[in-house]
Amino acid sequence: MRLNPLTARKLRRFREIKRGYYSFILLLALTGLSLFAELLINDKPLVIRYEGQLIFPTYGPVRLGAEFGLEGPAASIPVNYRDLQRQFREQGEGNFVILPLVPYNPLENSEVGGVIRASSPNFERQHYLGTDTTGRDILARLFYGFRTAILFSIAFTVLTYLIGIALGCMMGYFGGIFDLLFQRIIEIWSNIPFLYMVIIVFSVIPATFSIPTRITILLVIMVLFSWTFMTYYMRTETYREKARDYALAARVLGASTPRIIFRHILPNTISTVVTFIPFTVVAAITAITALDFLGWGLPPPTPSIGELLKQGTANLTTAPWIVTSAFVALVVILTLVTFIGEAIREAFDPKKFTVYR
Amino acid sequence: MKIRQLTVAALPALAAIILTGCGQDTGGDAQPEADAPDVTAEVQEHYRTKVSLPPETWEALEKGQITQEEVDAKAAAGEFPRFFQFATPADIPADLDWQDGSDLPEFASPDAKRGGTYYTWIQDFPRTLRRFGPDANGSFRPFILDDVITRLGRRHPNDTSITGTGFRYYPGVAREWALDKENATVYIRIDPDARFSDGEPITADDMMFMFFVYQSPHIQAPWYNNWYNRKYSNITKYDDLTFSIRQPEVRPDLLFKVMELEPLPEHFYRELGPDYPERYQWRFVPTSGAYEVRPENLKKGQSITLTRVKDWWADDKKFWRNRYNFDRIHFTVIRDVPKAFEAFRKGELDRFTASLPEYWYEKLPDDSDEVQNGYIHKEVFYNDIPRPTYGLWINQSKPLLDNRDIRIGIQHATNWDYVIQKYFRGDYQRMRTGSDGYGEFTHPTLKAREYSVDKALEHFAKAGFTTRGEDGILVNDAGKRLSFTVNTGYQTLRDVLTILAEEAAKAGLEFRLEVLDSTASWKKTQEKKHDIAFAAFAVSAEMYPRYWDFGHSVNAYDRAFLPDGSPNPDRKVKTQTNNLQVLAYPELDAMIEQYRASSDAGEMKELAYRMEELLYEDASFVPGFVIPFYRDLHWRWLRYPEDFNVKLSRGADQFFLSWIDTDMKKETREARKSGETFPPVIAVYDQYRTE
Repeated sequence: MRLNPLTARKLRRFREIKRGYYSFILLLALTGLSLFAELLINDKPLVIRYEGQLIFPTYGPVRLGAEFGLEGPAASIPVNYRDLQRQFREQGEGNFVILPLVPYNPLENSEVGGVIRASSPNFERQHYLGTDTTGRDILARLFYGFRTAILFSIAFTVLTYLIGIALGCMMGYFGGIFDLLFQRIIEIWSNIPFLYMVIIVFSVIPATFSIPTRITILLVIMVLFSWTFMTYYMRTETYREKARDYALAARVLGASTPRIIFRHILPNTISTVVTFIPFTVVAAITAITALDFLGWGLPPPTPSIGELLKQGTANLTTAPWIVTSAFVALVVILTLVTFIGEAIREAFDPKKFTVYR
Repeated sequence: MKIRQLTVAALPALAAIILTGCGQDTGGDAQPEADAPDVTAEVQEHYRTKVSLPPETWEALEKGQITQEEVDAKAAAGEFPRFFQFATPADIPADLDWQDGSDLPEFASPDAKRGGTYYTWIQDFPRTLRRFGPDANGSFRPFILDDVITRLGRRHPNDTSITGTGFRYYPGVAREWALDKENATVYIRIDPDARFSDGEPITADDMMFMFFVYQSPHIQAPWYNNWYNRKYSNITKYDDLTFSIRQPEVRPDLLFKVMELEPLPEHFYRELGPDYPERYQWRFVPTSGAYEVRPENLKKGQSITLTRVKDWWADDKKFWRNRYNFDRIHFTVIRDVPKAFEAFRKGELDRFTASLPEYWYEKLPDDSDEVQNGYIHKEVFYNDIPRPTYGLWINQSKPLLDNRDIRIGIQHATNWDYVIQKYFRGDYQRMRTGSDGYGEFTHPTLKAREYSVDKALEHFAKAGFTTRGEDGILVNDAGKRLSFTVNTGYQTLRDVLTILAEEAAKAGLEFRLEVLDSTASWKKTQEKKHDIAFAAFAVSAEMYPRYWDFGHSVNAYDRAFLPDGSPNPDRKVKTQTNNLQVLAYPELDAMIEQYRASSDAGEMKELAYRMEELLYEDASFVPGFVIPFYRDLHWRWLRYPEDFNVKLSRGADQFFLSWIDTDMKKETREARKSGETFPPVIAVYDQYRTE
């Protein structure tokens, strides 16, 4: 791909800002890893060898105990692979189970001393960050919660920018009645309280919807009420760029409207837009966490950072590890994104490149 | 960008507005106005014209066999007896056996000291001070009504024996009473000392007026309208302090239904009219009890204080002395349970109920400093009363759930025992049937079905669910997953549901959880939109369980059956009733009707057993857990009688037997500073424990 020399310079500058660049690499790596969370944190093993056969159950269907020669009540329920691992070891018949780093899924309850309760971090039992009040592994819940939050925020950013840029650009470029009309619509629209809408919509959608559907609905509502801010910037930027000589020149040369917009105006406004991206991501993560904290977000038992924070604040004195984990995780994610944002702003700062001083 | 961030930052603030919005003033402290309605003429007209309809007529009216106009015409023709009657003392039968409960023992502690302020908390500010009408049935009601007023008489909380006349009562507003069983009539003489908190004497007029109010449409309380029209058929005033109340049918609990009545102050409700809910929203009803709410003690949204009535009329009466010992009871609104606990731990609240294991074992374990130093006492009190019916209520009008095999499968796939053993740490017990705790009326042998994946799978297979899908949930041939929504309003018990859901998944059953706020969840359930509801009915210590509300088909469907007895194909589910399972069995209806009409306790018991067996076979209620005790944490200056509490108590404060020792409070405060300690108190009271 051939990059515009200006863009190449911006990217080079971004790489030179070490703090932002490494934050970016780290966040990218985390997001990448989270896509394969099932291989890292899961109660399903990576590999099983049973009677000479190798089985890779991670992405496969639930298997019942009978498949592995279990008897009694264990035969007809989904296999508990941790028990199976122990059993295979004791039998010593060459069968083995290799479990992921954290051998728990984010939903299962495990007991401590015969009781389901919050237990502190324990390396021997492989609860590296401890468990929450119903004995679920916190690391697992955090990691899966992180995945939801980061994917949610990426989708949120892409969608709001698509709508915001498109409409803002159109308002700026076409102006006139179109601009006037949409300005008023946006003013009215942005005055609808967003939280009330979430509460109202969530009280009417039936719980029969699956969790991914509910997340999508939440995403749609948030996007619907958040795209407006982008139009303000895009509108003014487009207005300004449209009146510049190069845009006029293109028009005189007979360039079509799409060509002017996509080849000339958009590339010159994009630097403003790019600097906003990290803050939008931060806002999206904060919003979904806050909604979960208030109980208006994802339905239980979906793992989420907000839900962990809520549990943590309710058990500050008895289970401080819950709130510590959730808080540290949230701070780390938000700091990483902020560092990236800083670097982008620095790298894309138009003052450094513009010829209009 | 500003807008986005603002939205996010505003989230908690907005939520706070929503929550406090509930407690905002809507009516104001209405002063009597010139154009206020006057109900006096309406009352006289009601007394003159009101008739009582026989039960058959009510039923015919309900089934649409006769119209309201026909009934009105018959009433005008004088076919029905009058509800309100006036007579002379000479009309009272001479051979009545008058009782006054004086042979019963006192249950309050003679050591109790009067005085002090008791600090406690409520989760929501009451939405009204009215006792009935919209929003009146809230969690503050016990403190202005149920636990505080004296009523005509009250059931003795320790002597729970059942005699020929029913429960044992001690006197309240009534000085003595007599039961004429044959005529289903109870005669009452009011205590001449009895006063409302505003000083007005309580008379038989206030009892007549009570019926007028509860029968009036102005109060916008259909339950009251129905109950006071149908459960009673006559009130007769003999003189200012003597009256009798008749019921339409002879039942074993005739006395119960009369003694639990409470006079309403006629002078206070003079402005009753269609605007009653707004007009009376924040007016405190003059009470026969020991505590009143003064307008200056109502800090909307923040706190509310009860003040002891000055020179309360029952101060020295046998069963009322040494009770209601606090001068003031201060309720702070604390929305968060964990926050309330922290306030208690700091000593800002005197008492905290810790029935949840989290508080009892984790947050204030036996070896914590406050307990070991004797500052905070831990007490467990066991007793045997009807308990809230926590369980899964399956709506059998929903597809798949109408299949009995699926319901039985759900019974076997719900692992309550695991929740009780592992989450509640074995402290709670498995509920056996929906009507536990009624003594002889409770089925002696029935038990809830046990958790068994194999049995669950077997029953699911019978219903066509034989193969497990990718995620382990059973699927039938049509590709339909075995998945149901479980809704609940109990935020604090959401963990219970997540555990149940995990266990059910082992048997190939999916529970999708829907944790709503309590009002929203209850509304959904009452409108029968639920698949499975995790809910409980609060039950009072009645003599025998109710079946009509929960099981009769009139509460399930409009016209459940055609005249020939077959199910009506066009029937519609009836909303806003307590038949959450949508049960409609003609044979159950017949038993319920016989049970309701029966005057023989033996026959009723047998019917109750048969109905329980039918409900067990129906399998649409999964009995959950019962808490056979309540656990209390309290600072040492809050004192209780030696045996802690009475047999029928649902909570430590229900009977107001405790008192504040102000010297001890000072002593403890100083001791906490100086490090002085006292012997720890961790006590278990199991004198009323049953297995």
